[in-house]
Amino acid sequence: MRSSLRRHTLNIQAVKMTIKQRKAFILVGGIAIAVVLVLWKPTVLIYGLQAAGLYAAVAIPMGLVLGIVHIVNLSHGEFMMLASYATYTVCRALGVDPLVALIPTALVTALFGWVVFQLTIKRALKAPELNQLILTFGLAIAFSQIINLIFTSQTYKLSLEYSSMSLDIGDLSFGVWSFVFVAVAVIYAVGLQIFLTKTRTGKAALAVGQNPKGAAIVGIDVYRTYGLVFGLSIGLVGAMGALFLTKSAIFPGVGSPFTMKSFSLVAMAGIGNIPGILGASVLLGLAENFLRSFRGTRDWAEIVYFVLIIAVILSRSLKGEKS
Amino acid sequence: MNRTLMRMFLILIAVVAVALPAFAGDYPLQVARNIMLYMALAISWDMLLRSGQISFGIAGLFGIGAYAAILGVVRAGMPAWLSIPFAGVFAALVAFLIGFFILRLRAMYFSIVTLALGEIFRIIVHNLHDFTGGPEGVVMQQGVMFGGNADKLYWLVLAGLSVAIGASYWFEKSRIHFALTAIRNNEISAKSSGVDIFRWLLLAFVVTSAIQGMLGGIFVMSYGFAAPDVVFSADFTLLPLAMALLGGIYSTRGPIFGAILLGLVAEWLKLKIPYGHLVVYGIMIIIVILFMPQGLKNLFKPAAKRTEGRSA
Amino acid sequence: MTKLRTTNLTKRFMGLVAVNNMSFSMDEGEILGIIGPNGAGKTTFINLISGIIMPTEGRIEYKGQDITWMPAHERARIGIARTYQLIHPLENLTLIENVMVGSIFARGHSLKEARRRAENLCGELGLTGLERDTNRLTILEIKKMEIARALANEPEVLFLDEVMAGLNSDETKELIAIVQKIAMEKNLAVGVVEHVMGVIRELTHRVIVLEAGELIAEGKYEEVSRNPRVIEAYLGGGAA
Repeated sequence: MRSSLRRHTLNIQAVKMTIKQRKAFILVGGIAIAVVLVLWKPTVLIYGLQAAGLYAAVAIPMGLVLGIVHIVNLSHGEFMMLASYATYTVCRALGVDPLVALIPTALVTALFGWVVFQLTIKRALKAPELNQLILTFGLAIAFSQIINLIFTSQTYKLSLEYSSMSLDIGDLSFGVWSFVFVAVAVIYAVGLQIFLTKTRTGKAALAVGQNPKGAAIVGIDVYRTYGLVFGLSIGLVGAMGALFLTKSAIFPGVGSPFTMKSFSLVAMAGIGNIPGILGASVLLGLAENFLRSFRGTRDWAEIVYFVLIIAVILSRSLKGEKS
Repeated sequence: MNRTLMRMFLILIAVVAVALPAFAGDYPLQVARNIMLYMALAISWDMLLRSGQISFGIAGLFGIGAYAAILGVVRAGMPAWLSIPFAGVFAALVAFLIGFFILRLRAMYFSIVTLALGEIFRIIVHNLHDFTGGPEGVVMQQGVMFGGNADKLYWLVLAGLSVAIGASYWFEKSRIHFALTAIRNNEISAKSSGVDIFRWLLLAFVVTSAIQGMLGGIFVMSYGFAAPDVVFSADFTLLPLAMALLGGIYSTRGPIFGAILLGLVAEWLKLKIPYGHLVVYGIMIIIVILFMPQGLKNLFKPAAKRTEGRSA
Repeated sequence: MTKLRTTNLTKRFMGLVAVNNMSFSMDEGEILGIIGPNGAGKTTFINLISGIIMPTEGRIEYKGQDITWMPAHERARIGIARTYQLIHPLENLTLIENVMVGSIFARGHSLKEARRRAENLCGELGLTGLERDTNRLTILEIKKMEIARALANEPEVLFLDEVMAGLNSDETKELIAIVQKIAMEKNLAVGVVEHVMGVIRELTHRVIVLEAGELIAEGKYEEVSRNPRVIEAYLGGGAA
């Protein structure tokens, strides 16, 4: 039987070479585009990267849940929206800054997410995928409508001095606060990578994601892991909700585009590829801002994520892959 | 209930439905029109669901049909009655294009793409404002169809509903039932038995989208006005979905029943809670999916039959 | 007459070679045994032939026609059918409706005609209570339904993937007799994957042996079961 194993394995070296070549190509291409943008439309590069940070930071938690619990959470953006509203209420009531409220908000949101998981999603895990999609859709509606009920559809915004901080380089003037999103996205990506590969809980989570039955056999409590991962994901999204409030206005429907864009990014990067989400976000952020920089195409920026996901789906279906 | 009794009951209902304008006032007729519209949408959603594909894009196809109809009248001088089947055909074409590329990857990819449809079409209509009238919408100068006659508008929607019911019945009684159920239950087995999965899914998606587009045309002809926020409203996805789930999916009767029940509740809620009354639907969807995925229809069947069909 | 032929058929999954350079053929009227240890690639091989997966290299010919890239549902229509090891019946259809599917879609019969043919098939297999839901069937009935489902394609080539697994000796005898009868009546080329060697010995005319995706022996059961290479592949067990 041992000789047949050798016969089974392919030339791994050959496979690695082409991946390296592709990575090099993408790197060179990326640098070229960056140079072009700096010379021609620097604001596109700046705001594009900031947007990329925001999108990535929100999308990475969805990637975590999709890769480990294997569900698409259609209420993902709504959890962020809930956190934003919670932060707003607390900040208004106690007179604190959202950054102060950030960690408590993240923790409370994580707990809330965990509870929602235990009460609803856990029960649907054994049911067909169809049920899970409809369930999270129902959650999204419930969340956004409850907020609509309490706060109406009016928009709320906090005016904070630091969020309009700007930098002047030559005749170029741009806001810099939003770079904090980039920092958070990188922290999330690196942090999760460390968590999943170096900590015991993280490695267990990875195992559950790859093979739940196998993980159960070696004694890992699969459902407890699911609950933890889901709670963690929602906590990360909750932190982003608080951070989002520092820069943007909130309204009940503010979360839903993030659900869609997060899914596009996760799909583009490939399920389980968290660093890939960073790259995909840069593409999305740059593309959106590029379109926004021309008066003629400005209104079409919001369609970019849709075009991207269609392109991804097309290229996958042409390759013959299935979901 | 034996079959002749059932048939007589159905005929009675049909007669009452057609004759309703004779003894109902304008407000009840208006409510009935709303309920029937949502009922037809719920039935069309269920028809695709039978293949195992969930569409979250009813509002998208409905809205695109609405715009096709009103622009056909306003820009191309189409007579109002023609614009309605035109809306259906247009929506069918759009669905064909989308489905052709998206249905090869199924389940969550298809569903999520449909979720974006309403928004995307809304943005497209919003942006092409020279042609579509932009965010302010477009008004039919010649006024509402039938001059706003409540009875005739009621029968118009009833006609649309009849098309939906007829199509659903066709899906249930022909080989389409076998194809869609086989695909839903076990695609690999279906393939091995000769079912061309892609073709049947495309057919189901195109037909149901045509119905949704046609209903959009009926809607817009009844009000003489279309605006992106109105016709692409998420209500047109949410309510039919909740109605079909509540009444019982994978059937024609289920969505009908769910629509009557929820439709009446919706009217009442709109009066009581102006903002956020939709929360009821969200919660209802959650409860139904978790605790009675088969919907209410099975409560009327003998207990033995309730175990039929394990998947929701 | 050769019904089915593969030439250098190979399937690689990301570094694992599941089927390696398989060349073989099947004639009409013959019942071919396909044996080999677990993981030898038998089911992958059948999946390749029935079109559920596509090969990495090689050719598949059916009645002289190259079907290497033909989609599964078309292969069902031209006369290839197979059963599945893990049977998941179509749970929202009744027993008879499960059988009708192939008749409707692989053969294009009307619903009425499909029902008539399905009833006949079920009769040949000894199935009764055709309006029952599939969650009320015994294991033997499920196996029979699965065979009927495949036969509804009116195939010329049929693969049975471990269809005898989990049956007691009486049930096994019954199914062997049924398979022999149907294969003879319809002049089918049948491929039988089995672990139960008694079935192979009684049912098959010829046997091929797979190990690690490769064809390591071919011949009548008596020869093959004495082949030292085959015995080694099974690590001393199997040859009954």
